[in-house]
Amino acid sequence: MEKRSKTVPARKTILIVDDEFGILEVLESILDDAGFRVISAGNGQDALACLQETVPDLVIVDFMMPLLDGAGVIKAMREKESLRAIPVILASALPEKTISERCSGYQVFLRKPFKAERLMEEISRLLAVPASNA
Amino acid sequence: MSNKDSHQLERVPSGVKGLDVVLRGGFFGGGLYIIEGPPGVGKTILGNQICFNQAAAGRKVLYVTLIAETVGRMLLNIRSLTFFNESEVGDGIVYVSGFSALKTKGLNGLLHLLRAEVASRKATTLVVDGFASASDHAQSHEELKLFVQQLQTQADAADCTVFLLSNPSEHAPSSEETMVDGILNLSTTIHELRSSRELCVRKLRGSSYLQGVHSYNINQDGVTVYPRLETLVSNNDVDGDLHRVSSGNSRLDEMLGGGLPARSSTMLIGPSGTGKTTLGLQFLSLSSADEPGLLLGFYETSARIYAKAKALCPALTEQLDAGHVQILWQAPTDVFLDELAERMLREIKHRKVKRLLIDGLGGFKKALRARPIEPFFSALVHELRANGVTTICTAEVMEIVGPTITVPLQGLSDVTDNHIVLRFVESGASLYRILSILKVRDSAFDSDLRGLTFSPSGVELAEDSLSAKAILPRSWQQPEPTVTQNKK
Repeated sequence: MEKRSKTVPARKTILIVDDEFGILEVLESILDDAGFRVISAGNGQDALACLQETVPDLVIVDFMMPLLDGAGVIKAMREKESLRAIPVILASALPEKTISERCSGYQVFLRKPFKAERLMEEISRLLAVPASNA
Repeated sequence: MSNKDSHQLERVPSGVKGLDVVLRGGFFGGGLYIIEGPPGVGKTILGNQICFNQAAAGRKVLYVTLIAETVGRMLLNIRSLTFFNESEVGDGIVYVSGFSALKTKGLNGLLHLLRAEVASRKATTLVVDGFASASDHAQSHEELKLFVQQLQTQADAADCTVFLLSNPSEHAPSSEETMVDGILNLSTTIHELRSSRELCVRKLRGSSYLQGVHSYNINQDGVTVYPRLETLVSNNDVDGDLHRVSSGNSRLDEMLGGGLPARSSTMLIGPSGTGKTTLGLQFLSLSSADEPGLLLGFYETSARIYAKAKALCPALTEQLDAGHVQILWQAPTDVFLDELAERMLREIKHRKVKRLLIDGLGGFKKALRARPIEPFFSALVHELRANGVTTICTAEVMEIVGPTITVPLQGLSDVTDNHIVLRFVESGASLYRILSILKVRDSAFDSDLRGLTFSPSGVELAEDSLSAKAILPRSWQQPEPTVTQNKK
């Protein structure tokens, strides 16, 4: 994990949005250890509030959440000029086929539960390439 | 609030096989129910099963977890179950975690989240999995009671049925249990190295229910509840049916006074090898399209029964080939008594079975665990009689040779109508078989002992008792053998 963090520019900011507290805590630890600045939100509404204060380099968002789901967060981001280019990793326990019928505008889909190594690979790839080209 | 008459409670069937029978129709819409039990009893599976059944009926469902297991992991675990329908997830059923709200904002935060989510998703079913976490976050019993009260009011107002999945051992205070509309307790008990799953309705407002403990199991279909047979006995009293049914052995019919009384139950008691099963097969061989037969066997598979019929009762093979007789084989290990009865009665009702052979009452004994046999068997006999079934059960005894017979299952002799005993007798250097009738309910019968032999067509009985008298030891020559009850 440490080795990989050296390949990613330090202090990039990642917003994690997930209603499951355990997942949020684990992802915060992993990304913090990898040298990222991490902000987190427990639902879609809180995520939009965070996005008004901070523009992250990448967003990891869960699909099923209370108050506002992942599809709602992505839609709101794509409608706002300042957030439109931020790459998004969408995570869900559902298969991507089901998700793609209900949600668009994300760059990477990860099916839960996923391995940390796979997440880090996708983060490295997305932060190295402009989201518009992903 | 819905437009429905608020003075009339609407039933919401769980869709879980057997559970709605126990609940006499299901839960009530807008009610608040606790499903409690220690880890591993299947609360989450039952909760999900109810959710998928509701979603399949077109209702919107919200599943809120407060547990450590992630939604992803939980869905992985239930994905292989037949009720799971992935297309419902995220649409008909939405899974969200309420733990963050609970952790950061306490019970009020959780209550707010539940209210907002139920309203926005128009959910009519809400499951809160891991309710013990909410209890743990309560500052006092009063706060928890207030939470439950508010949740109940919310549920009623939104016409949303709420299920709280809880582990009672984690929160001893149960003041909230006095406030909810119903409590289902799930548990596992261990008896002689085998575990049994048991469900008990501890409370159900607004309805009667089948009281006491009912067994359930969890397999690919999820949870299936087997209501205790004694609680299901139909009230239809059967008129005295005076006609007789052939036993399949003309000599035995004569001794019985014209055959077995229709709808009666008969125990064939004797040690292994005396001809009990063969006599039973002869009884079944008279099955027909109008009088279908069923064999419930515990120890011999269908293939072995077929081979046995071919060797000892060729007439039965014709009925088996024609489909007039079916074999229901059940390994005697790890079977639930009520599950077994349910399978058998379902088959009997479906095929309108009129002749039944239960080969090996010991199979029931293995399924008993610590339960007394008499109420169960009494209910079973009643149901068989109500369905017009004439039944023969074979019961093996330990005594190989001798004048004393110990009935293998205490209490059964009072429940069954007719008793026929088969015994070995040693005389000189030979071993003989004899048969005698001990009891035919409400009927005269020939109590003489008869010699019994095997022929290519099955069991043959001697024409009279002379041969039996000739082979019986002098000390045995009593009117009837001594029958004792096994205390085990």
